[in-house]
Amino acid sequence: MSKITLTINDKQVTGQEGDTVLDVCRNNGIEVPTLCHFKGLTDIGACRLCLVEIEKERRPVPSCTYPARDGLVIRTHTEKLETNRRQILELMFAERNHLCPYCVASGDCELQSLAYKYQMDNVRYDLSWPALEVDSLHQHLVIDHNRCILCGRCIRACDEIACAHTLDFGNRGWKDMVCADLNQSLGQSSCISCGACFQVCPTGAISAKSGTYRGKPEEFTGVDSACTICGIGCSINALVKDNKVVRIDSPDLASSRGLLCYKGRFEQIYDKKNRITKPLMKKDGKFEACTLDHALDAVAAKFGEIRAKHGNDSVAGLTTSQISNESLKAFKGLMIETIGTTLVDTLDGDSFRVIHQGITKFRNDGKLDIEISPEEIFKADCVLVAGADPLTTHPVIGAAVLNAYKKNKANIIVLDAQKNSFASRSAVWLKPKQGKEEAAIKALTDSLKKVDAGKSGKDAGLDAETLVDAAKIIAGSKNCVIIYGEGIIKLQNPDVIAALLNLAAVVGKSDKGSLKIISLKPQGNSRGAWETVGLCGMQRADMSKVKAAYIVFADDGMADPKVLDAFKKTEFLAIQASYLSPITERADVVLPSPIAIEREGTYTTLDGKSVSVSRLVNPPDGTKQDHETIREISQRFKAR
Amino acid sequence: MAKVKVATVWLESCAGCHMSLLDIDEAIVDLANHVEFTRSPITDIKEFTQVDVGIVEGSVGSTEAEETLKELRAHCKILMALGECACFGGVCAMRSTFDKEDVLKRAYIETESTVGGKIPKPPGVPELLDKVKPLNEIVKVDCYVPGCPPDAKTILYALTELLAGRIPVIPSDMMRFD
Repeated sequence: MSKITLTINDKQVTGQEGDTVLDVCRNNGIEVPTLCHFKGLTDIGACRLCLVEIEKERRPVPSCTYPARDGLVIRTHTEKLETNRRQILELMFAERNHLCPYCVASGDCELQSLAYKYQMDNVRYDLSWPALEVDSLHQHLVIDHNRCILCGRCIRACDEIACAHTLDFGNRGWKDMVCADLNQSLGQSSCISCGACFQVCPTGAISAKSGTYRGKPEEFTGVDSACTICGIGCSINALVKDNKVVRIDSPDLASSRGLLCYKGRFEQIYDKKNRITKPLMKKDGKFEACTLDHALDAVAAKFGEIRAKHGNDSVAGLTTSQISNESLKAFKGLMIETIGTTLVDTLDGDSFRVIHQGITKFRNDGKLDIEISPEEIFKADCVLVAGADPLTTHPVIGAAVLNAYKKNKANIIVLDAQKNSFASRSAVWLKPKQGKEEAAIKALTDSLKKVDAGKSGKDAGLDAETLVDAAKIIAGSKNCVIIYGEGIIKLQNPDVIAALLNLAAVVGKSDKGSLKIISLKPQGNSRGAWETVGLCGMQRADMSKVKAAYIVFADDGMADPKVLDAFKKTEFLAIQASYLSPITERADVVLPSPIAIEREGTYTTLDGKSVSVSRLVNPPDGTKQDHETIREISQRFKAR
Repeated sequence: MAKVKVATVWLESCAGCHMSLLDIDEAIVDLANHVEFTRSPITDIKEFTQVDVGIVEGSVGSTEAEETLKELRAHCKILMALGECACFGGVCAMRSTFDKEDVLKRAYIETESTVGGKIPKPPGVPELLDKVKPLNEIVKVDCYVPGCPPDAKTILYALTELLAGRIPVIPSDMMRFD
């Protein structure tokens, strides 16, 4: 890119070819006010605040859309421009009902800040007081059209970042309005609830239900961390006040991995009840609060007693995969190294085993790095989604598929007995009979290899024409990525996974190195757990002979009370958990555990990267990090 | 030096701006040396006399407010809009997006705790205007101090400017709409 030289406000400045005039101004420290501009979104010159005077132009032009050229002579802050800017702000205030004293955004509003800057202490036009709606039917978001300045940032974020294109302008002129789909309520629209519109909104027009009216920006502390909910490892920036999370944003929304989902952005903010804040011990069938020392001693003593009487494998350990690698290592240390049991598992251990066995069937080493990173989805021109609904389970990956669909015109092929969120966008929906996924995958592979797929296709309940369509699309693509998830994993058949890997090898025309395949693992640190605990001979053996068990449950919302059915005859159950639940009911000792936003440490993303997680808020007094609690038990066990 | 005569009124408002005016602490003693309050909720004087500065809190939502404002305007040299309601309509203007009759019905008849309610009518009470308006939609306003309420230091700044013979314009870093 070549350098260009311009004159701005009588000063020579330089920029790059391809820059807009606004880029050059900002890169040279000249602050031109904007409202509709947002870094990373296409500029549309809607708000008119960035108008500048350029010599030889008949009238002021928006600097955000004007390409910078060598030799341009520009003025950015003439009296006329500044007067215009104040007038534009007044017109915005007069157009809709901008009433700061009771607006959610007051104190954190770009329109208000500019009004302050331009000392807009009154509006010279009669205020128009239009009667506008507030749409609050969405689970997490509220659209208040009274505060909207029609800058279109939300619309562009929805289209360009989330690639959902739920929002757009509806009506014309005076009646112009931000609309969802065909003017539906946002809550009933195709919205994927990523919250990008909320993050980019310069006013209080789009707000989140969580964290509103909690204070002003200067009262908040920012914490950078990574989201631990689903294993994608999205970077987050949390605003915290009084040990409560007020808001979670993406630190760089417009970057390829910048999108957040409703789980990461909104769901972590709500306070939940039934929190366990004190260690509990069961006495005569009822829980009694006790000191941590007392509880830890009791656990160590009981495990020691039972092991001495019944042997190492009379004690079993079960952990959630939501906790950090440090905690998982401590868990492994306690169970395998200190107590010496072989009965150790994670709550999602079944998922690991089937994936592991599937990979081993395909390639002896069974290594998880046969998979590629979700980054590849952005480059894909074809995506095969098999037994997965990423927009629900891993929404950021779902949005990446939408991104490929929109920007690369990628074809989406769905292979699923169930309807998933991509059904309406998919080029082909291969709908095998329930339980016939393997046959369907084999039939598709055969079609690609131009082998007669008639028999397996028929077996799977697929007609030949659909199979040929799908095979044609895949064969014509240059970069096809396969995503599989719960629907495949829950079949508990390694042959299906192996068949998918084989398909990936045929699609990629090579079975060496990484294949363009991604498995959507069930939990936030599944991969970390599988690599720490899983690969050291994890097994779900017959737990019915187990006499004592240690279960690290934390705030796992996925596991159901059925996990405890295996421990029906267990004499002693120690459970480390964040919330009281039917699971903790069965425990003899309950140890408090921090929830996601209180945990710290490293997590392994589903593609094997290590991310560092900071705690956003402190756990309640006396609740230690999981690894600290587990290590304490190890020490006490050894010191007996 | 003769004292500067000041009249203050509150129209549709919550009295918060007057409270904020009294919140300037010990500066009020010094201010009292230079300023004489004539008609004002603070002095409880009801008649208008000719003054140098008229200060208005609140927005205009009824015929009474409109009359009071016009009368003050006729009696003062400089008119200052004090607070969000006077400058922009503020909280009182929440009703401006609704039909006036609906507002009255909601307040006097449909209220959950009301049985057999009646909408009060003039001459007993002043008539509501269709919309609640900021002052400058009715009369000429010379200076504005926004805020809900404005900080005491901002009010003091405005009054000090006026005493120095200047029309105050609130600096950006003191501006507040909430």
